[in-house]
Parts: sequence; structure tokens; C-alpha cells
Amino acid sequence: MTTETILSVESLSFAVGDLQILNDVHLHVLEGETVGIIGPNGSGKTTLFNCLSGFNSPQKGSIALKGRDISPYEPHKRAIAGLGRVFQNFGIFREMTVGENIILALESRQPIRSTFFPWSKQNRKNVATAREYLKQVGLEDKFGDKAGSLSGGQMRLLEIIRTLAFGAELFLLDEPTAGVAPKLKNNVASLIVKLQELGKTVLIIEHDLNFIQKFCTRIIVLDQGRVVLDDAPEKVRESRLLQEIYFGNASE
Amino acid sequence: MEYFIHLIIIIGIYLILAQSFNLTLGLGLLFNLAHVSVYAVGAYVTALLATELGMGFFGCLVCSVLICGLFAIILGAISIKLKEDYFAIGTLAFSSVISALLINWKSLTHGVLGIPGIPRPEFSFLKVDFYDNINFLVLTYVLVAITFFMLYLFFNNFFARTLRAQSEFRQATKALGKNTRLTRNMSFFIASCFAGLAGSLYAYYINYIDPSSFSLTEMIFVLTVVVVGKPGSFWGCVFGTVFLVLLPEPLRFTRDVPLALEWLFGMPYPQISAIPVLGWLITPVVSFLLYASRPSVLGPMRQMLYAVILFIVVYFRREALFPVQRRV
Repeated sequence: MTTETILSVESLSFAVGDLQILNDVHLHVLEGETVGIIGPNGSGKTTLFNCLSGFNSPQKGSIALKGRDISPYEPHKRAIAGLGRVFQNFGIFREMTVGENIILALESRQPIRSTFFPWSKQNRKNVATAREYLKQVGLEDKFGDKAGSLSGGQMRLLEIIRTLAFGAELFLLDEPTAGVAPKLKNNVASLIVKLQELGKTVLIIEHDLNFIQKFCTRIIVLDQGRVVLDDAPEKVRESRLLQEIYFGNASE
Repeated sequence: MEYFIHLIIIIGIYLILAQSFNLTLGLGLLFNLAHVSVYAVGAYVTALLATELGMGFFGCLVCSVLICGLFAIILGAISIKLKEDYFAIGTLAFSSVISALLINWKSLTHGVLGIPGIPRPEFSFLKVDFYDNINFLVLTYVLVAITFFMLYLFFNNFFARTLRAQSEFRQATKALGKNTRLTRNMSFFIASCFAGLAGSLYAYYINYIDPSSFSLTEMIFVLTVVVVGKPGSFWGCVFGTVFLVLLPEPLRFTRDVPLALEWLFGMPYPQISAIPVLGWLITPVVSFLLYASRPSVLGPMRQMLYAVILFIVVYFRREALFPVQRRV
């Protein structure tokens, strides 16, 4: 496995009015790594992801993906450059069928000419490819159902597999277990493991330390917009600082 | 028979207008209330070029389509800042500007007097003219067929999927590498071009246009067509157009209701209304229908009918208009 830097964030700062949400964040992620991001509510985790995917424009700092500066890019160009985003509040299109959700992602990298006519060969190929992707997460019999009829866990699986079908290399997963039934949490976990096996880089925001400990190589702790800890999972777990951030100062 | 052909031609023109509106409203959930104004511009461009410059059919048609296509730039600019309901208000304001221009720019549009004497198209190379309504009917439906073929593609390929996706969750669509703004602007461009085509046809068919043909009432009619046919449904829109254009037609026959009753009961109408219970029930209904058959009442009745239908459909099938729960 190569160990090149896939994402490097330099002195990223983002503020809304007087409120400093991200404060001089530095972040380097190697290719194939799985990095967990934890921190209390309001510590800027989701804002960090929004800055990376281009929905928020930071006042300061630069973001480089695979050595290329993507800070001036619009969100869709960043996505084409290899950034995949999984939203906390389910980024699937509920009014479209499960199959269409995947087909939509497949079409992004195909020339317009090849999918312009509804009866084109590429469209039929896309349907077959979409079925294969759905089979990987056990949703193949839901192909024609509305995505809104799926359960929370299934929606999450669909969204992650859709991001894979889109061809992302760096996955930004924003609380992948939020709104997921405990039984399906394991499916989400094994899907993340599958992403690792495919050599994809994964960034996960999560509150459940036990959940991410299983597959993260590194955990970053954010507090009040700063990176306060960046270490191996076991070390972070034992860290006194983390307990202070989450539970307040115990010695008081 | 002549009247029947007239209705079919009108249906054809509205098919083009409604289906193009269905593209932006049904797929993109973009409440473009300036659609009829763009249609008006298409009609005026054709009327002016044909009467003032004597331009031929294809010249007028292409100019109408392209000039209307340019209006997509304005709509696109409105949609950058204004979303959803605010977009509807913005386009409503824009359509008011156009209506005001049509009425007040007298040197160009002749104001409320309108532009009379628009000649029907003539194809000298084929030795065909379209003063005959049957010929015009064929011409209309050739253009309807071309429009429907192109719109069918846009309703079923990647473009439709992206448009629907961006209407639901814009950020997630961007995260899949889609240029949502370009997609929206393209939808405005396509819809405006076809509105221009419909306007051009309308001007040629009616021979006389004035601002009152392109009022907000007309917009409500088009909106009702799309909503009745379920927004985003390609064939539903066809059904809606045919249904709503033909719906008020029976109203024209209401003055014959007493005759029909006399035939049914085999006695003169005053006797029928004197029958206990039954007569008391029938009389108010018949009086109302007779009242409604007056030409001065028939026009407003049509408008009320459309508004009531729009209300009923939206009231009972709210999800038809806004299928998705809105999210930030």
C-alpha cells in the first residue's frame, strides 16, 4: 500500500460573524488510512466536513487533495476530484427509486453523449452495475422501491454504496451510525471495512468510541474548533484530556 | 366541425406550453410563474416580425425560440439567490414587469390594442398555406411531435434524474459531482425555448394578440394542467391538458338544459318545475345553469372552475405538489 498523503489541510479557519467555528486546523491523512474524528457537539466536526466538501467557504487556509489545491473548486468539482460525502441527515433522494440513486452516481463520470438517449446501451449497463452494487449491501430486491421507504440503516448503507459507485477515493462519513438500528450497525461497520479493503481513505465523525475503535488507525479529537489530540485509538481512549472535554474536569 | 378543429389546435398549443412548464415545475420543483410571460414574449416576437418586417414562418419561429431562450438567463439569475417559494415570488414579479411592458410600451407593442393582422404561414416552395385550419392543425401537431420527442428525452435521461435530485437535496447532488446550477439553468433554457415556440404558434393561429391573453389567469390555467396531471408525470400532463381544455365546453350547452328536460319528461318546462319535490330541486339548478350560459358569465365561470379544481387537487393531494418534505 502506498503511503502518500491524500488530504492535507493547512491552517483552516472558518467563522460565522464573530463566532470562530474552526480555528487553525491542520490535518494530514495518508492514502488508505481510516481516521476517526470525535469531539463534543459544536466542536466543528461537521463544519470541517462542509469546508472540505466546499459547502462552507473558509476565511483562511488551504485544502489539497492528492497534492492538488482544491480550495478554489466548487463542491461538484471537488466531488469529481475524488471527495465522497455521506451526510448526517441521510443524503439519499427519497422520491427516487433505490436503483436510480445508484444510477445517478454512476452517470456523473460518464460522457453526456453516452446516456443522452434513454434507450442507450450505457443506460442498460448502468442498471446492471447498479444491481451489482446493491447486491453488495443486500438491497438488490429493493431496486425499484422508493428510497424513502427504506429503514434508517438501509438508507445509510445505500448512501455509502452510492458514494462508492460514484467513484470517490476519500470518504467523509458524517455519523454513519446516527439513526441506524443496532442490528444494522454491524452491516455499516462491515461496509466500512470493505472500503478499507478496497484501499479507500475514510474519515469518520462519530460519538461512539467503541464503534470506530475497531477500524480506525488514528483518532483526532476536536474541541472548540481546534485539533487537541491526534493519536492511536487506545491512547486517545486513555487520555485524560478526552475525559475532561466530554465530562468536564473530574478533579473539581 | 370547425369548432372541433379549433379545440384540437388549442390543445396542441397548450400541450407544448404545459409540458415545458412541467419540466421545471414537475422535475425541478421550480415554481417558474413567469412561464406564461415568456410565452407572451414568444407570441409578440412572432407578431412583430411577421407584421412589421414581413418575416417568414421559420424566421419568426426561430427568433421567438431563441429570444425566449435568452430569458432563461434572467430566470437563472433569480434562482441563484431565491429558492422555492421565494423563487415563485421573484418570477411573479418578473412576469409583472413583462405584463407592464406589454401594456405600456405602446410604440412597440401597441399597448392594450394589441397587434392585429398576423398573417398565417405560407410555404411557397410547397405551395401550401395555412389559412385552412386543417392544414394548420397538421403543422401544429408536427411541432407538438418534435417537442414531445425532445422533451421525452429530457424527462427520461440523466438530466431528469439530476433535476429531480437537486430539487430534493441540493448539497447531496453536488456531492455526487453534479453541477446543479447548470442543470437548473438548462431546464429554464429548454422550457423557455418551447414556451417561445408555443407563443409563436399561438400568434399565428389567433392572428391577433393583446396583453390580456397572457395574464396571470393563463398562468393559473397552465399550473392547474400540470398539477391535475401530477407534476413530473409526462403523460399525466397530456391528460391534464386535454381534460382541462375540454372541461368548460359542456358549459356552452347549458342553455339547452330545459329542452333536454322537456324531451326527457315529455311535458313543457313550467309543468316540470311545478312537480312537487322534484321540481323544487330541479328549478334552482336549471336557473343557475341558464344564468351561467350567458356569454358575459361564461368567461369568468371558466376561470373560477380552474381555480376551484386547482384548489381541490392541492387540498386533497398535497403531496402531488410538494412530494418531498423539505430539508435544509
